[in-house]
Amino acid sequence: MNGKHRDTVWIYALAAASLALIGALYAGYLTPEWKDYQAEFRDLVEKRFGPARASQVAGGLQQIWVKELGRTDRCVTCHMGVGWKGLESAPNPFRSHPKEILEKHPLAKYGCTICHGGQGYATTMDAAHGVGIEHWEQPVLGAQLAKTYVISERKALIESNCNVCHRYDRETKGAGYVNYAKQLVRDKGCRACHIVNGRGGLVGPNLNFVGDLAPEQYDYSRLGGKHSVFAWHMAHFKNPKSMVAETVMPNFSFGSKEAQALTMLVMSWKQAKLPVDYIPGVETADLPTKEEKEKEERMMTGEGAFFVKKNCFICHDVSALGIESAAKIGPDLALAVTDVQSRFGRTLEDFLKAPTGTMAMVLATQIHLTDAEKAEAVEKLKLAYQKKLEQDAKGAQRK
Amino acid sequence: MPNLKGIKPREVWRQLTWTWKPASEREAGDSVVRNLLLHWFPAKVSLGSLSFRYSFWLGTISALLFLVLCLTGVVLMFLYVPSVERAYQSVKDIEFVVSFGWFLRGLHRLAAHLMVAAVFLHMVRVFLTAAYKNGAGAGQNRPLNWIVGVVLLLATLLLSFTGYLLPWDQLAFWAITVGTNIASAAPLVGQKIRFLLLGGNEIEQSALLRFYVLHCFFLPALVLFLFAWHMWRVRKDGGLACVDQLALGHKAEKTPPVRTKTYSLLGLTKGRTVHVETALADEDKYTVHAMPHLTRRLLLVTLATLVVLFALTMVVTAPLEEPANPRVTPNPAKAPWYFLWLQELVTISTINIGGLTINGALIGGIIVPGVLVVLLAIWPYVDNTGAATTGVWFAAARRKQNIVFLVVVAVVLALMVVGTFLRGPYWDFYWPWEQWPQIPKHF
Repeated sequence: MNGKHRDTVWIYALAAASLALIGALYAGYLTPEWKDYQAEFRDLVEKRFGPARASQVAGGLQQIWVKELGRTDRCVTCHMGVGWKGLESAPNPFRSHPKEILEKHPLAKYGCTICHGGQGYATTMDAAHGVGIEHWEQPVLGAQLAKTYVISERKALIESNCNVCHRYDRETKGAGYVNYAKQLVRDKGCRACHIVNGRGGLVGPNLNFVGDLAPEQYDYSRLGGKHSVFAWHMAHFKNPKSMVAETVMPNFSFGSKEAQALTMLVMSWKQAKLPVDYIPGVETADLPTKEEKEKEERMMTGEGAFFVKKNCFICHDVSALGIESAAKIGPDLALAVTDVQSRFGRTLEDFLKAPTGTMAMVLATQIHLTDAEKAEAVEKLKLAYQKKLEQDAKGAQRK
Repeated sequence: MPNLKGIKPREVWRQLTWTWKPASEREAGDSVVRNLLLHWFPAKVSLGSLSFRYSFWLGTISALLFLVLCLTGVVLMFLYVPSVERAYQSVKDIEFVVSFGWFLRGLHRLAAHLMVAAVFLHMVRVFLTAAYKNGAGAGQNRPLNWIVGVVLLLATLLLSFTGYLLPWDQLAFWAITVGTNIASAAPLVGQKIRFLLLGGNEIEQSALLRFYVLHCFFLPALVLFLFAWHMWRVRKDGGLACVDQLALGHKAEKTPPVRTKTYSLLGLTKGRTVHVETALADEDKYTVHAMPHLTRRLLLVTLATLVVLFALTMVVTAPLEEPANPRVTPNPAKAPWYFLWLQELVTISTINIGGLTINGALIGGIIVPGVLVVLLAIWPYVDNTGAATTGVWFAAARRKQNIVFLVVVAVVLALMVVGTFLRGPYWDFYWPWEQWPQIPKHF
């Protein structure tokens, strides 16, 4: 049978082909792009700081995992110098990150992509930078992207991402462009027509989360050149009617700088899923109301302040002096002068000097009063009693 | 110095390259029966069954692809998290940081697509050779095995479809949206089927989990069971249908085969196996030992399948789009390619007359494919051409049905091509040389 021989030849040929394919696969596995960068970085460190430090440079895939933000950023696999001192002037991807920003935004808590954009999962440069690739919508907001647009301030693009967390700041340090845009929003009265950050008019669209609109949700029929949300907003800010013919939005004759700043601002208005401690200026306390604050103020500074300072008010009201206990465990002290007499058969002075029952325990362990303070207490309570009688009399008259 | 005298280079080479050769027919037959992996093979096979020209080995290729899918799938199960929060992320990790993860995922994806194609082509081959018909053997029930095959094709489609959702990207989400919406057009039970499939009204966590369990357990188990049944029936039916033709030819000129003893699991039995029934008087002329002829060719087909699969995987990147976003419909939103002929049918059969819209989902999505599947399943009982057409390519007596069948296949394929390559945004038609409108991006 001739087929027998042919089959065997084919088997050898195919086995060789599969071996070759596996070899090619393995070769690719052993020579990823990032290994070159890591070798270069080690050379750089050796040149600047000596071989001892070069040997400490980590190898292999590196990542920052920020569980709170659901981000895994592998940028540091190549950008190895980010946390190093002394590489401020090194070429990228090895340059140290500016220190002041990292102090406020530690790498372990923020990672990279929440500010810079890009695809943190990725381990190749093109996929990681995400500029002009398919299926990734958050490119690195840097010079590479700025080149595709005619942008006056290339480094400013990143400020758009600052504002995802800092959107409620009046002014954010270091984010000049966004600050300028916010100033424009105030000066030009955008809120007359639009809801911005939760308040404003209803003539134009609500802009609270306009940054979440998908690229597909814009009409590009009047836009020449590249179809992108960024390009649409730039053109729209420069002349609203050029994008939306029937719009009533006035033309503010914004220049490129203004249009860019405002575009970056509106694109940052996203409904980001952020843990509350990532949003500056958000109060996480259960704050008192205005009335509660005023009452507290009165109790702290009024005639009955003594009873607040000495913590008597935890259990007792002193109603005539405006002291109100939250717990109200004990009797109202405004009536203490007669109350003590009738309960214990002793004067108030006597009782305070040698208390019995619960008060004996409280005064021995939790509230310590000197003799002078005890005298003061008696004096104040007598005053309270006086007031109480007057108030009651007034009340009776009114009736 | 070892004694090298008496060593024949030819012998050494033979020892190195081919380590075992049966010394007798008995040893050759025994080696098949004794081996767990080979025991379901016959001891001897006809040359026609072995040839590429008759079967193209499409069933074997389907089974091999299923094996690849099981092996890669099990590894992927260790890496993938079936949760809406983490599924996408875990697939990204498979792509970027798992050693050979991209290759594993690519293999799994391509093997799945190729398996759909291979199973479909296998069905086409069986139809065109009338291999669903009984021939000369006793106890044959090829029509039943054909029905098992049709169910296997449907199970393969469902396997691929359930796997489609798992990456939880836009492609997955919207393909499943289109697919389950078509299912919901079934009269009376449509909405219920959709609810049952998704575990709710929306494609959310319960849908993902249902698809995952169907994909990783129920459907593979079903396919495995049906595959075993399919193969068992192939043996019971006396092997491939082309063998019957050989037997029929011989029967015409020779006396019926003699009764011989056969071996079964329980020892010596009365009666004869189908193979013996259809055995040829002049066996040696038309048959060879399964070991090594069948096993060698199986190895060849296995290697060829793997090489093609490996090479394709290294060239074709498995797409992973943006994370699933129910608020943003990609334009156009397409079902998986093997369902695109249905989506295309739905579009064609959606008719606007004045203000009245007839929804095509019922006609294109339910009735047409339903009728086709039913027709497929009952066809062996409809086809009343004689046993002479069994296992014959394009038998003259079956010309009409073959032509109708090929036309239907061609229409389905054409609709797939239109849906895949010629439909752009808003399901508008675009020739290949026409440019689609730019797909907008954020930046």
